[in-house]
Amino acid sequence: MSIANQPLLELKNITKRFKDLTAVNGVNLTVASGEKLVIIGPSGSGKSTLLRSINMLEEIEEGTINFEGREVGYVLRNGKRHPDRPQAISALRAEIGMVFQHFHLFPHMTVLGNVMEGPLTVQRKTADEARSIAIDILEKVGLSDKRDVFPATLSGGQKQRVAIARALAMRPKLMLFDEPTSALDPELVGEVFDTIHTLADEGMTMIIVTHHMGFARELADRVIFMESGSFLAQGTPEELFSIAHDNERIRGFLNRLL
Amino acid sequence: MRYNIGRVLLALLFLWMMTGNCLGAVDYDHLFRQSSDLMAQGDLDGALALLKKVPTPAPGEDAGAFVSSRMQAARIHASQKAPDKAIADCQEVLTLFPDNSEARNFVAALKEQAKPAWHTVLSDTIRFLPSLAKGALTTLLLVLCTMLVSPLGGLLVALGRISTLRPISGLCWLIIWFFRGTPLLLQLFFIYYGLPSLGITMSPLAAAVLGLGLNYSAYLGEIIRGAIQSIDHGQMEAAKAIGMSYGQAMRRIIIPQTYKRLMPPIGNEFIALIKDTALVSTIAMVELMRAADQLFNTYFNITALALAAVIYLLLTTIFTFIFEKIEYRAGIYEHR
Repeated sequence: MSIANQPLLELKNITKRFKDLTAVNGVNLTVASGEKLVIIGPSGSGKSTLLRSINMLEEIEEGTINFEGREVGYVLRNGKRHPDRPQAISALRAEIGMVFQHFHLFPHMTVLGNVMEGPLTVQRKTADEARSIAIDILEKVGLSDKRDVFPATLSGGQKQRVAIARALAMRPKLMLFDEPTSALDPELVGEVFDTIHTLADEGMTMIIVTHHMGFARELADRVIFMESGSFLAQGTPEELFSIAHDNERIRGFLNRLL
Repeated sequence: MRYNIGRVLLALLFLWMMTGNCLGAVDYDHLFRQSSDLMAQGDLDGALALLKKVPTPAPGEDAGAFVSSRMQAARIHASQKAPDKAIADCQEVLTLFPDNSEARNFVAALKEQAKPAWHTVLSDTIRFLPSLAKGALTTLLLVLCTMLVSPLGGLLVALGRISTLRPISGLCWLIIWFFRGTPLLLQLFFIYYGLPSLGITMSPLAAAVLGLGLNYSAYLGEIIRGAIQSIDHGQMEAAKAIGMSYGQAMRRIIIPQTYKRLMPPIGNEFIALIKDTALVSTIAMVELMRAADQLFNTYFNITALALAAVIYLLLTTIFTFIFEKIEYRAGIYEHR
């Protein structure tokens, strides 16, 4: 089987429960290499939980995750499912970049330090190697001049671009964006959007959970509308907007956003 | 006749003696009594004037009254807060009788009294300082050892407490529960006097560092645990998301962010530690408190205790200053 035909990520029957609430309910999803997937839907619909399940920040109750053709994240022991060894989970996460709504930059490290941290600590590269990787990536997100400052002095948009650079420094095969522009002032959304757009143009595989319809319209190969832990509708942006024409729930949601 | 002449001569001799000696003695007696009366009435100057009437005796003459009068005058002058005049009175005696111990002692006492209070404190300070400094060095050694040991112990206990492994978190809970729940004094006694009966003996210094170290590890453990848990959970998630292990995330991301938050409460604990080392004096260690106590009991001099207080203040002030500097440095990324 050639790697090119094989999906990068394959989720089967993903189910996540918080006590008596089912946040994600038997979701199936296949993501091809290079695909840009945007997940929209009302708050509490399980979008973020699904995204966080992919890199094991949430432990799922049921289902399987296949990454590059191999099952990851969980092992069977005595017929019971357990999370895989910590090293295996860390190795998976190292290949999947994640960007959070609230950036979560490391405040005690400079911008350069934040971007270097993954290559340095996780990939055990030398300080010189890590630095040159970080310098290249900061150049790419347009923050070379902020290299030596601490995150506290940056604007929200700059922080999020550093967070993207930090994830990119690991040379991930898949990028997960969890509402990357939701915590930003409206005038700062554009710069983060542009950065992600550039990344998409370079062929990065990405899943974006967002309320920002620009992502869906301009960037997505496929848009999924999620509600109550399930996919309600999916298709190309055009398809979804035409579905929305007939589906009152989706139409109502999109109207509120637009 | 001869018999009569002899009796008359004898009687005359007796009379001469009576008039010559006893008359004079009666005279001075009267004078001393008068001067006492004047003193009782508060007329000290009058009393002095009377006493001065006793003349300087010629060589060989009886000097009892003279010495008595001058010493009495000296006492009056001393009571009038005129030490110079009192000393002059004594000197009159001493010119004739350089070995008169009463006059000499009185002069010495007057000269001692004449020194200002700071002079006494200063000479006490100079006298006590060597042994207090030695004690202070021991205190400093104890403080530094405990400051080195207890943050490491505290970190271990803190990480143990937040461990998801029940036996480890349970054990660390137990350690904190015991060492925070019993008096430090009792722990020190147990280690120094109790452990030898189990076959474990150690030097007072080792016992003191062990006791203080365990006690302060327990306190710092809770402080460090609180600081770790106060760091935004997103930091751990972000660290994990780039592939860090739990240990790497703790070491590189979480713990370094606790430093600034840790400094004020840890500084507080270390100030308490400096004073808590005084308890170690009960297990045969001569540190600052013990040294001061020994001086106080030997000389019955409060200056020793006051000096110890000053040295403790000096130590706490220096460490407070150092902790403030470290706190500022630890949080420098928030200032820029």
